[in-house]
Amino acid sequence: MTRQPSVWRLAWRVMNHRPREFWLSWSLFVLFFTFPVLGGWLLGRGFHALENGDTSRVYVFALAALLTDVLRMTTIHAGALVFTRTWVHMQTFLRANLLTAQLASGGPESGQPVGSAGEAITHFRDDVEDATMFIDGLIDISAGTVFTVLAAFVLGSIDAGAATILIVPLAGVAIATRTLDNRIKRYRATDREASAAVSGFLGDVMAAATTVKVNGASTHTTARLRTLVDTRRTTAVRDRVLDDGVQAFAQGAADVGLGFVLLVTASAMAAGTFDVGSLAVFTAYLGWLSFLPRMVGRVMARRKQAGVAFERMRGLVADHDVRNTVLTRELPIGRRESRPRIAARRPAREPLDVLEVRELTAEYPSGAGVSTASFTIRRGSFTVLTGPIGAGKSTLLRALLGLTHEAAVHGSVTWNGREVVDRAAFFVPPNVAYLPQVPQLISDSVADNITLGEMSLDQLLRALDLAVVRADIDEMPDGTATLIGPRGLRLSGGQRQRVATARALVHAPELVVLDDLSSALDVETELQLWQNLAAAGMTVLAVSHRAVALDRADQVLRMDGGHLSVDDFSVKA
Amino acid sequence: MSTATSRWRALGALMRPDARRWTGLGLLVALSSGFSLAGPLVVRRIIDLAGEGGTAAELTSLALVFLGLAVATQIILVIVSWFSTVTAWHTTNQIRLQLAEHVLGLDHEFHRRHTPGELIQRVDGDVTSVSDFLGRVVPRVAGAAAMVLGMLGVLFVVDWRLALGSSVYVTVAAGTIVRGRHRAVGESTEEMGSYAQLYGGIEERLTAAEDLRANGAGAHAMWRFVEESSDAMNSSVRRESAFLRLWWAVQGSVAVGSAVSLIAGAVLVTNGSITLGTAFLMFQYVLLLERPLEDVVQQLEVVQKANGAMVRVIDLLAVQPTILDIGTSSPAAGPLAVEFDGVSFEYADETDDSTADDTFNDTERVLHDLSFTLAAGRSMGIVGRTGSGKTTLSRLLLRLVESTHGELRLGGVPIADIPMTELRRRVAMIPQEVELFSGTVRDNVTLFDPQPTDAQVEHALGRVGLGALVAGGIHRELGAGGAGLSAGEAQLLALARVWLREPDLVVLDEATARVDPATEARLEVAIAEMMRGRTTIVIAHRLRTLRHVDEILVLDHGVIVEHGKREALAGDDGSRFHHLLELALEGTS
Repeated sequence: MTRQPSVWRLAWRVMNHRPREFWLSWSLFVLFFTFPVLGGWLLGRGFHALENGDTSRVYVFALAALLTDVLRMTTIHAGALVFTRTWVHMQTFLRANLLTAQLASGGPESGQPVGSAGEAITHFRDDVEDATMFIDGLIDISAGTVFTVLAAFVLGSIDAGAATILIVPLAGVAIATRTLDNRIKRYRATDREASAAVSGFLGDVMAAATTVKVNGASTHTTARLRTLVDTRRTTAVRDRVLDDGVQAFAQGAADVGLGFVLLVTASAMAAGTFDVGSLAVFTAYLGWLSFLPRMVGRVMARRKQAGVAFERMRGLVADHDVRNTVLTRELPIGRRESRPRIAARRPAREPLDVLEVRELTAEYPSGAGVSTASFTIRRGSFTVLTGPIGAGKSTLLRALLGLTHEAAVHGSVTWNGREVVDRAAFFVPPNVAYLPQVPQLISDSVADNITLGEMSLDQLLRALDLAVVRADIDEMPDGTATLIGPRGLRLSGGQRQRVATARALVHAPELVVLDDLSSALDVETELQLWQNLAAAGMTVLAVSHRAVALDRADQVLRMDGGHLSVDDFSVKA
Repeated sequence: MSTATSRWRALGALMRPDARRWTGLGLLVALSSGFSLAGPLVVRRIIDLAGEGGTAAELTSLALVFLGLAVATQIILVIVSWFSTVTAWHTTNQIRLQLAEHVLGLDHEFHRRHTPGELIQRVDGDVTSVSDFLGRVVPRVAGAAAMVLGMLGVLFVVDWRLALGSSVYVTVAAGTIVRGRHRAVGESTEEMGSYAQLYGGIEERLTAAEDLRANGAGAHAMWRFVEESSDAMNSSVRRESAFLRLWWAVQGSVAVGSAVSLIAGAVLVTNGSITLGTAFLMFQYVLLLERPLEDVVQQLEVVQKANGAMVRVIDLLAVQPTILDIGTSSPAAGPLAVEFDGVSFEYADETDDSTADDTFNDTERVLHDLSFTLAAGRSMGIVGRTGSGKTTLSRLLLRLVESTHGELRLGGVPIADIPMTELRRRVAMIPQEVELFSGTVRDNVTLFDPQPTDAQVEHALGRVGLGALVAGGIHRELGAGGAGLSAGEAQLLALARVWLREPDLVVLDEATARVDPATEARLEVAIAEMMRGRTTIVIAHRLRTLRHVDEILVLDHGVIVEHGKREALAGDDGSRFHHLLELALEGTS
C-alpha cells in the first residue's frame, strides 16, 4: 500500500475540481467578512458622538453603518449562489468516483463491491457530506481569519491591553478542541456504524415488505428496529452533543472575552479614558470575533470527520487507494450544459473459437467454493451446468467471469488460446454476456434495461424475440418505452427474467452465460428459448436441471461439492 | 398537501408522549435566556456608574459579576444542548418505529411502486431531519423567543416608549421572517425529493451492480446518475435563492435595529429621558438578538429540511391501505377449504402516480370470473404459462390484493371477514423470490419472533433439509441480504419459516423453482409431509412437484381452462395437463 495523502491534500483536490467557481465564491465570502469591521467601527463612532452630545453626527454614523450592512448582504447573496453550484459539483464528483468504481467492469477503475446497497448509500450520502463540510469549514476559517486580523488592528489601536487579553479565551478554545479531537473521531465512527445498521436493516425489511407482511412479522421486525434505533440514539447524542459542546464553548469565549475587557479597562473607564464608543466597538466585534475560534473548533472536528469519511470511501474505490475518490471527472450537471451519452468503453469483439478453463479454483474465506474445475467450450456449442444447490455452480460462473471479488481465484482461462488476464474487463459484451441467478433490473424503460446504452431498434427487437418476451412487451401500452418500476417490480417474475435474458442477448455475444434461468420460466418457454438460441447459432453456457436443456446439451458439466465432472456428448462414436 | 397548521399539529401529536421531557427542556431554555439578559444590565450599570464617577474597584467587582454570568450561561447552554438532543432522538425514534410499522402495513401495490432506498430515506432520513430540527432548532428558537419577551419586559421597566417601539419592531421583523420562511418551504421539499430520487437511483444501481458490471453498463448508469445529479443541482440552487431572501429579512432586521437603536438612543439621551447606559443596553440587546437569530438562520436549512421532511412524513402517514383489517369472523380450526366464487381481478388505474400505468401486463394481472372449490385438507396444483395469472391468484389467497368482483372464502368465511392476524397465522406462502435479512440464521427463520425455542427452529430447519445450517449454529450471522446462502438454500429456509407456524393453508408459489433435482427430491418428502392435514395450493412450473397433489387447475390468460383430479387429467390424452406432462418428459432417458 502506497502512502495515503492527508485529508488536507484530498480537500485541496476537491476544491480545485472546478477552480474558477470555487475561488470566486471563496473571494466573495472573504470580502463579506471585511464589512463588519467597518460597520462596527462606524457604530463605535456613533456612540462616541452620542456621549459628546453631537446628535447629528450620530445619525450620519448610524446610516453609514446601515449602508455597510446592505453591501455585506449583497456580497453574500452573490457568493452563496455561486457556492451552491460549487458545493453540488464537489459532492457529485465524489459520488461519481465512488459509483464508477462500483460499476466498472474490471479495469483500473474497478473497486471492491460493497455488501448491502442500503448500507452503501451512507457512503454516498453521509461520507460525501462530511468530506465536503470540511471544505465549507475551511472557507469559513479563511474568511474569519481576515476579519480577526483587521479587527485586531482596530481594537489594538483603541486599547492594546484589552485587545491582548482576548487571546486568552480564544487560545482556551483551541486547546480544548485539540483535547477533544480523538474523541470526536471515535464518536463519529460509532455513530456512522449505528446509522448504517439502521438503514441496512430498514433496507432489508423494505425490500422484503411482502415477506414480512405474509408472515405477519411486522411487530417483530419493528421490535428489532427498536433495538437498533435505540443504540443509534446513544451514539447520535454523544456525537452531536460533543459537536455542539465544542461550539458552545467557542461561542461562550466571546462573552468571557467581554468580561476580561471590562476587568482590564475598569480603571480606564473610571478615569474616563475608555469611553462608550470604544466599548461599543469591542462589543460589536466580539460576536464576530467568536466566529473564528468557533469555526476552528468546528473545522477541527470536521477534519476528523472528513478523515473518517475518506477512510470509509476508500473501501469502495480501486486498490483501496483514497486518491481514487478524487479523480478529476467531467460532469455536465449545470442547467444549460448538454449531457451527451458517454459511449460505453467495451472491448473489441474477438470471435470465439474455443474457451478453455484450466484448474479454476475459487476459495471463499469460509472455505466453500470451487476446486480445480477444467472444461472447454467450443464455438456454437451448448453446455449445461447442473448439480445440487450449494454445489458451487454460481461460484464457478462468477469466478470464470471475474466477478468473485470476495474469493481467492486461481487457475487459467484462455480465449482462443490466449490467457485472459483482466477477466472482469474482457468478459463483457460483445464477448461474453451474463445473466445472474436473480437478475436485477432498474426503474427505467424496458428498452433502457435491455440496451443499457444506445442501440438500434432492430437489435433490441431481435433480442426480445430471442428471449421470448416480444409478445409480452408488444401488449404493453408504451411497448419498449414502458417504465417497469423500481427494481422492475411492475413486471411479473417471468417477465423480469426474460427481459434480463434479452439484456444478455442484445449484443449478440460470442458466449452467453445463463445462471439458472429455468427457475422463473415454464417448461414451454424454456424450450422455446433453447430452440431460439440454437437457431441463432449462439454459444451457450447455462445452468439448468430440466430435460429440455440436458437433452440438447453438447456437454453436461456436473458440479457436486465444488468438484466438476464433464459428460461430453458432442464427440459421438 | 398538508397546511402549516396541520404540520404543527402533527408534530405536536408526535411530541406528546414525551411532553414531560419537553416541558423540562423549556424551563432550562428560559433559565439560560434569563442569564443572557442579565449580562447587558450589568454593563449598563458599569457605564452609568463610570459616568457618575464610580471607583475602579466598584467597576472591577461589576466586571467580575459579568464574567461569572458569562461562564454560568455557557454551562447551562451545554446542558440544554445535551438534554434537547436526547429528547429529540427519544421522540423521533418513536416516529421512526411508527412509520416503519405503518409502511409495512401498506398495500403490496405501494411497495411495488417505491424502492427500498426511497423508503429508507422516508422512514429514517426524513425523520433524522425532524430530529435535528427538534434537537437543535427548537431549543434555539424557544431561547430566542424567551429572550425577546424578556427584553421587552426589561425595556418596559426602563422606559415604556422604548418597550412599545421595540414591540412594533420585533413584530414587523418576525412577520417578515415568517413570511419568507413559507416561501422557502416549497423549494426545500422539492430539493429533498430530488435528493431522495438521486439516492434511490444510486441504491438501485448498487443493488444491480453485478448485472451492470457483467454487462459493461457502467457508462450508462453514470449517464443516469449525471442526469439525476443535475436535477439535484437545479433544485439546490432554487432552494438557496429562496433561502437567501429569508436571510435578507433576518439580517436586514438586525441592521436596521442597530441603526434605529442608536438613533433612538441619541434622541432620548439628548432630551434626558434615558441614560447613556440605557442607550448602550438597547444596542447590546439588538446585538444579543443577532446571535440566536444568526443561529436560527444557520439552522434554517435544518428548519427547511425538517419542514419538507415533516410534509413527507405526514403524507406517508396519510397513505392508507385499501385492504382493511376489520374482519371479526374466524373459520373453524383445522385445514381451510378454499372457495372461489366468481372471482375477478384487475389492477385499478393508478390515481396517485400519473406516469404509472400498471395495466400493461394485463395477461399476468387479470383474472376473469374464477369459480372453483378445494375441500379442506386437499391439495391442488396450479399450472399455466408465465402470465396466466397464477401469481395474482396466490396474492388473492394471501389478501395482498383484493378481488374486484366475486367472493373468495376460506373455511366458508369471506376472506375480508377474517382478522388479519388470524389470516397471517393460518395462511402461509412461500414466494418465488425469498427475501433474507442481515441477522442470524434464527432471525431469518423466525423473522425476529423471540417466541419459538432454538430447538423448534433447528427442528424446522432439519425438516427442510437444512441440517447443515443447524450444524453451523443457528446464531451465526448471515451477511446483508442473506449473503452466504445460495438461492436454493434461501428457498429451503423460507420453507422452514412456514414449518414453524403450523398453518392451515399453504401456498407454494414456484417454491422449489431454484432447487436442483437432488435437493428437490429431498424437499418433496418434506413438502408431502407438510401437505398432510393441511390444504395446499402448489403453483409450479415443474410438473414433478405436482406428483403428490390431488387436483390440477390449468390457467390460461386469467381463465380456468381445465380443472380436475390429477390422475384423471394425466390419463386423458386430450387434456392440456397431459400435453404439458409429455413436454416435460420429452426425451428423458
